[in-house]
Amino acid sequence: MNVPPAILHLVVARPGGHSVRLWLPLFLLWPLALALGVVALLITIIVDVVLLLLGRRYCRYTVLLARMCALFGETRGMDIRINSEQETFNLTVY
Amino acid sequence: MAEDRSRILSLLAAGKITADEAERLLDALDTGAGAAAGPAGPAFTGDPSPLVAALPKYLYVQVNGSTGDNVHVKVPIALVRSGLKLTSLIPPLAMDQINKSLSEHGMSVDFTNLKPEDIDELIEGLREMEVNVDSKDGDVVRVYCA
Repeated sequence: MNVPPAILHLVVARPGGHSVRLWLPLFLLWPLALALGVVALLITIIVDVVLLLLGRRYCRYTVLLARMCALFGETRGMDIRINSEQETFNLTVY
Repeated sequence: MAEDRSRILSLLAAGKITADEAERLLDALDTGAGAAAGPAGPAFTGDPSPLVAALPKYLYVQVNGSTGDNVHVKVPIALVRSGLKLTSLIPPLAMDQINKSLSEHGMSVDFTNLKPEDIDELIEGLREMEVNVDSKDGDVVRVYCA
């Protein structure tokens, strides 16, 4: 798993209209995401244990959560650029 | 050994690595071959990091429309791999709905049949995939890994 994305650069521009250029410092949200992740992890562990005790076949919410976090971590380097006559949309994850 | 060598040369021919990088990779292969103890030894025992570094890391999708519309998407291959592996963990009820929705939109892909070993094979195949479409209208679509 890579280091989570630190900065999100978003550009939405229309010729002759409003344009939005944002540098979102995602690294400022890391502590909050970590706290939420720990809480979510505890909840999923409890849910999985309860589902296991109930004999349910699917009890992998903890692994699912971990994989989703890993997926978020892999978004670093993603770059989407859409340019048309009407609109320009750029999304870059650093 | 011969396969590794031909893969490096094909990467060089495709312009995905430079001549210097190819030389370093071939040197690494030769070192590995020299270090091999005998016929029972592994085909490559050198430092694998140059080979790993030469592997494509991004999937590119480029659409250049004849009307001037352009779409360029760069997705880390690691993200594709993680996304595919995530599908095996989606709860069955949610997966049924996803499959149903996909089939309604003309994509009859059943992700429940996707096994982890298939995903690795799929990703490896994806690294060597290249799609070039040139339409009469002047639209150009390219999908490749680099």
